Amino acid sequence: MKKILAVVVLLTIVLSVFSITITMTAGAVGTELETLLKQVDMFMEENPDIRVQVLPMPNSSTDRHDLYVTYLASGTPDPDVLMLDVIWPAEFAPFLVDLTDDYDYFELDKFFPGTVASNTVEGRLVAVPWFTDAGILYYRSDLLEKYGYDVPETWDELYTAAKDISSKEGINGFVWQGARYEGLTCNVMEFVHSFGGEIMKDGKVVVDDPQYYNKNVAAITFMDKLIEDRVTPRGVTTYMEEEARRIFQNGEAVFMRNWPYAWALVNSPTSPVAGKVGITVLPKGPGPDGRNSATLGGWNLGINANSSAAEVEAAKKLIKFLTSHEQQVYKAVNAGQTPTRIEAYNDPRTIEANPFYVDIFDVFMSAEPRPISPIYNEISYEIQVAVHSVLTQQTQPENAVKSLAQNLRKLVY
Amino acid sequence: MWLAFWLIIPTLVAIGITAFYPLGQTIYDSFFKWSLRPGFQREFVGLQNYINLFQDPRFLQALWNTIYFTFFSVLIEFLLGLATALVLNADFKLRGLVRAAVLIPWAIPTAVSSQMWKWMYNDQYGVISLMLYNLGILSEGTPILGTPGIAMSAIIAVDVWKTTPFVALLLLAGLQIIPNELYEAARIDGASMWKQFTSITLPVLRPTIGVTLIFRTLDALRVFDVVYIMTQGAVGTETLAVYNRSLLMDNIFSPRGLFGYGSALSVVIFLIIGVFTVIYMRSLNIKLD
Repeated sequence: MKKILAVVVLLTIVLSVFSITITMTAGAVGTELETLLKQVDMFMEENPDIRVQVLPMPNSSTDRHDLYVTYLASGTPDPDVLMLDVIWPAEFAPFLVDLTDDYDYFELDKFFPGTVASNTVEGRLVAVPWFTDAGILYYRSDLLEKYGYDVPETWDELYTAAKDISSKEGINGFVWQGARYEGLTCNVMEFVHSFGGEIMKDGKVVVDDPQYYNKNVAAITFMDKLIEDRVTPRGVTTYMEEEARRIFQNGEAVFMRNWPYAWALVNSPTSPVAGKVGITVLPKGPGPDGRNSATLGGWNLGINANSSAAEVEAAKKLIKFLTSHEQQVYKAVNAGQTPTRIEAYNDPRTIEANPFYVDIFDVFMSAEPRPISPIYNEISYEIQVAVHSVLTQQTQPENAVKSLAQNLRKLVY
Repeated sequence: MWLAFWLIIPTLVAIGITAFYPLGQTIYDSFFKWSLRPGFQREFVGLQNYINLFQDPRFLQALWNTIYFTFFSVLIEFLLGLATALVLNADFKLRGLVRAAVLIPWAIPTAVSSQMWKWMYNDQYGVISLMLYNLGILSEGTPILGTPGIAMSAIIAVDVWKTTPFVALLLLAGLQIIPNELYEAARIDGASMWKQFTSITLPVLRPTIGVTLIFRTLDALRVFDVVYIMTQGAVGTETLAVYNRSLLMDNIFSPRGLFGYGSALSVVIFLIIGVFTVIYMRSLNIKLD
């Protein structure tokens, strides 16, 4: 008995000398945290020398940003593994471990190229894509069928169908995110890109370049027209994701632009529209340059540059584990979060749990990143202000594009 | 004498660390172009941040919004609070219960009540929106928090709803110390109710009114939570504190070096609040000792 005890004590001492503790931040939306805790347990079983502590964060991306600002500005070595929004890598790059040489270790050639690109700052890879997101179009398949409309392929088709069906049914036509916040920038990028426009390109301001100016104006004019013609409720200037989803889920809108997370909710047993909803790519703009576009969202895993060498090694192991094929499938099945590895979409377990992934695989494949810049917050703010002033009837689209160009040039010389 | 000195030392040290050191540091930082981005060269710019601030349309707009918010919210809260206090000071049945009930809005955390009101303002389900549409005050579908002008009034309404009970409570405490004999004597002399109010209630209440206005004005000048939760500063509702958060949190690592600029804004907010305090204390003859 004494011998066994001695062995146990000795083992514990040896293990605690050689074991290392790392902390990671995590989200807690839906079943996200629960799923992660199980994954972390699996990881620790495989790696008995590493202990992982999970640190849940607030849900809003802005609040998480505030939290990271305090961590990183203070130079604390914890947390070691940081869960990063796609728009942050450029801003936080100086605080993150350079992972460029680990490209093969993380098998990044097997990921969606856009998700890897959004984590590459001036040629340095600073984070590994964990799960992805992209704007998609939700539609009421029952109503489209009832009034004999096809799933819209262009914005004009969507406009016509939404206007007709909404007036006949006495509901809203098309809801999206028009409040002045980050979500508006995502929506604006989709409208602008689908009309063939651009706001920034290769770090330069191109919003008023002759080849893009008219298309940008047309895109913003179209957004405004949706509101003026009441295809979109005027209240859209106060809507974020959840406001739009609540309206759509209550059966009070024909179309909705939202992220994939809404799929499980609008089809939940208590949802009035369960089984009556389809999803597809967002429509194309008019003309030969019109194309489908979806803004890239999602979260990545980076490593705190203040962590010790041993912690960095352990953190890399954890990130490799969490972004592996097996674990991405596990996450997709258990938390409904969209994988960043292409092969994960061919896995029968993923398809069974999320059949809609197959329909919109191309959307994730070709999702477009927002401007990559260390002053992304300032750029996004200017875009929000310019477009919101049009949506609230304070400026004409032409003037909004011109003043946006001026204000962006003050930021990016 | 020395014992008292030694006993007060820990408090002085604590105040020094928590209040004066950060204040001094902020003032110092406001003279630099500086960012917390690693490798950023701290550059002394003197008063340039302050000069830039007063040429920044976003700052001037926020300054105006803050003053507008403060003036109207404090004015309405004071008038409603005074009326409420006079009612609560009267003798009637269940007075204790009513007094407690009136305080409920004040007891709810601002973050919670702001979110609650945000839902009530929703253009599709909001009960307030529905009432205003049905009464014809707003045209159907007007988003209250998404329309310039209306959004600020809506935010002021939330602040009034939340803070009037607090004002009433303070004023009620002041009313209770006025001896009843004063009113009896006035009635015997034939003074009207209005005369009693202006000649007895108001003069005796003056110090209380002063304290109340200082409390409310200083609070209103640094208003943050209601605005941030309801509109995040959109459609002409951005206040100085909301703009300051944006500079110091969203753009703290900006290579454009906005940390010093944000510090300058903090100092300006501090000065504005200081000026208002002095004006009030002078005009109401409040003495600190």
